[in-house]
Formats: sequence, C-alpha cells, structure tokens
Amino acid sequence: MTKRIIACLDVNAGRVVKGVNFLNLKDKGDPVELASKYEEEGADEIVFLDISATIEGRRTMIDVVRNTASVLSIPLTVGGGIRTLEDVSRMLSSGADKVSINTAAVENKKLIEISSNEFGAQAVVVAIDAKREMDSWSVYTKSGTYRTGLDAILWSKEVERLGSGEILLTSIDKDGTRSGFDIDLTFAVSSSVNIPVIASGGAGNMEHFYQVLSRGGADAALAAGVFHDGVIRIKDLKNYLLMKGVDVRQ
Amino acid sequence: MPTALIINYGVGNLFSISSSLRRVGFEVKIKESPEANSDLIVFPGVGSFSAVSNFLLSFSEQLNDMRKSGIKFLGVCLGLQIFFDKGTEGGDTKGLSWFSGTVDKIRANVKLPHIGWDRIYEEKKTELSEGLDGRYAYFVHSYVAYTTESYIMKSYYGIEFPAMVEKDNVVGTQFHPEKSSETGKIFLENLMRWIKR
Repeated sequence: MTKRIIACLDVNAGRVVKGVNFLNLKDKGDPVELASKYEEEGADEIVFLDISATIEGRRTMIDVVRNTASVLSIPLTVGGGIRTLEDVSRMLSSGADKVSINTAAVENKKLIEISSNEFGAQAVVVAIDAKREMDSWSVYTKSGTYRTGLDAILWSKEVERLGSGEILLTSIDKDGTRSGFDIDLTFAVSSSVNIPVIASGGAGNMEHFYQVLSRGGADAALAAGVFHDGVIRIKDLKNYLLMKGVDVRQ
Repeated sequence: MPTALIINYGVGNLFSISSSLRRVGFEVKIKESPEANSDLIVFPGVGSFSAVSNFLLSFSEQLNDMRKSGIKFLGVCLGLQIFFDKGTEGGDTKGLSWFSGTVDKIRANVKLPHIGWDRIYEEKKTELSEGLDGRYAYFVHSYVAYTTESYIMKSYYGIEFPAMVEKDNVVGTQFHPEKSSETGKIFLENLMRWIKR
C-alpha cells in the first residue's frame, strides 16, 4: 500500500488564497489550474478547503468543484462549511469524491452516520483539529477557536464507529509553523483506529513527510504552503521518500 | 461517436466517470434504466452491493438480453462486484451471476476501506490490459471478489484480489479509472479501441 501525498488549496470566493488571517488573504490563482498542476506534478489527491465567509462565496464553490472535477483525474475532497446532508449531497453530485466534515461532525454526530449510510464510508472524511494539553490532545472546532472538551483519541474512535472512512488530523500546535508534523499525535490516533489517517499541519521540509509517514504511522500527509510557495516540489518529495524506503506512487 | 450509458442507481458522484469517458471520445448519457441503443453500458462505482443489486436485478432479463446481443458492459468497483453471484455487504444478496464467485470483505488484517494507490499486474495479456502492467491505480473499497475464475489483472492489499475481470463483452475494474490519472486514461483508451473493434 502506497502512502499518499495530498495538496490542499484554501479557496475563498472561487480563488485560491493564502494568508495568516482573513484580513490578509493573498490571491494565489485559479483553483482549477492549480489542482491540475498538482496532479501533473504527482499529487495523489487534492483537497479544497472552502474558507469563504459569505453565502455567495460558498455558492461559488459548487462551480469550482464542478469545473475542477471535469478536468481532474485524481480524487478530490471538499471541506469547509459542510453542515447538512444536503451540503454533502450537493458537493458529491458536483464532482467531489469525498467531503470533509469538521465542526458539524462534533455538533451533530448523526451527520457522519447518515452521510456514511447514504454515500458510503469512503465519501466521508472527518477532520479533527487537535491541540496538546499536558499528555493528551483536545479537539477544537470553528477553525480552531472553540474548545469542545473532547479527547482527540476518543473522538477518533467514535468517528470510526459512526462510519467515517478516513480521518484528516490537523495539529493546531504545528499548523503554519513549518517545524514538522506532530508525530506523537499522529501515531496516537493512527494506532487507535482502523481507518486511514491523513496527517496535516507543520510540513516544512521533506524530512518532515518521511517522519510522519514512517514513525507517525500516517497513511497520507497533507500540506498547502510548502507546495504553493515552491519550497517543496511534489516530484522531488516522492523521489526522496522512495529513496528513504517509503512506498509512494511514481 | 460511440455512446456510453451510465446507469444512475441513486446516489454519488457520476460526474467524474462521465467526464473521463467524454475525454476519450464517448458520447455520455446518464439514465435510470439500461437502453439497448448504447455501445457501452456502465455500472458506476457508487452505493452498496445490496441496494445496487436489488436495483439492477429488476432489469436482469433486459440486461442479459443486451449482453447476448453483443452490447458491451463496464463495471467500476462496486459495478464489477455486481457481476458476481453474491455479495455480503448489507446482508447476503444475489448479483448478476455473469462471473462466478462471492463478494466479501477483504479477509486480511488491514485497515479498511482500502483507500489509495496500488500497482496492478497483468495476469493475462488482452487489449484491455495493454500498457497497464505494473502501473499504479486508485482503489476505494472494503470488498473484493473471491472467485475461482481467471482474471486479467490483479492487485494486492493484504491478499491478492482481481483488479480487472473480462469475459466475452463484459469488463470490470476494481480500481477507479476515472480517478487513476494516467493509468485510468490508458485503460479508457483501451476500452475505446475495444468498443470500436
């Protein structure tokens, strides 16, 4: 089984953006073009994270997904603002292969269960944002601003039981730091569940990917900034991982 | 332009398979029931075995007639699984029995669903498997066909399983060609040649 490298694109009102907060968003280009470019460079999957704050922005996302799906031939996951079964259905029928659910999964566990029953576990990714507290990790929602009080390991087991097909695990402590993935968190979750775990948050160099895919036990690793800025080229990353003995798709 | 009819048996993403068939030159229609004036009937890879087989078995006579008349069939993932005698997903359910065998959960100590890229290997050289031996394909499934029949391509996930089956005018892939980048494109181009033959 090969390990997957996933490129994540933040989309605001139909454009790929980058910024540390909503006040400082820099335009990084057209999502359709960027997704295709990453496919060509060897990305195994694409994730779109809709960070639009407005209703019109969210509507635009449907078109972005449709236009991307008509040219992309690798799996596409869409997350951000998925709150109801109708949202899930709309994204999948527009060409997304999976949806990623975060806040709504915590607030309404039934959404995981009904989405999984309706569309299959493979279409449902639960995103878990976790922050270290002493010797455990706490689950946060609402873009990392709201402490739910849930334990990340227990919540991971629960979402598996509810029918999630994968877990997209983001370390809030590491996100944006480029200091490496949270290996301990990833290993703790990955060894507690029997569904694939995608590690996210903290990618800064190629060694970081190697660590999380080997010691961390992750089935896939996701990054955004290091790919967009050209710090790491996916082709180079895959060659490096192969050299280190990690099986990836060539 | 050859026409491909994708059977819409309910839910899920039919957009990707339509787009990828169009890209290799098919005229694509999506319908709730099979139609004889098609060059290719496609069973897409969405839904569960019991739901989909119940749906398709309501057309079984029509489908069997079409098959005898020489219309070609493509089954993707679950669409391949429906070709077999029986499935266990959602309770024991009959399939189309075009191939003999049972579709059951992957019997190995591995994480399920099997999601990701694995190599596919040629077992038998055919025009459909041409250029695919050793290439990576994208899989998303928890069930595989356990069969004593021969298959044309295989893959491994804890166990060996059929990655592509072919008999007469029926072909099925356990992987998703529409999600398998260059590998998928090669397969769909082979498929197009096979249709035109």
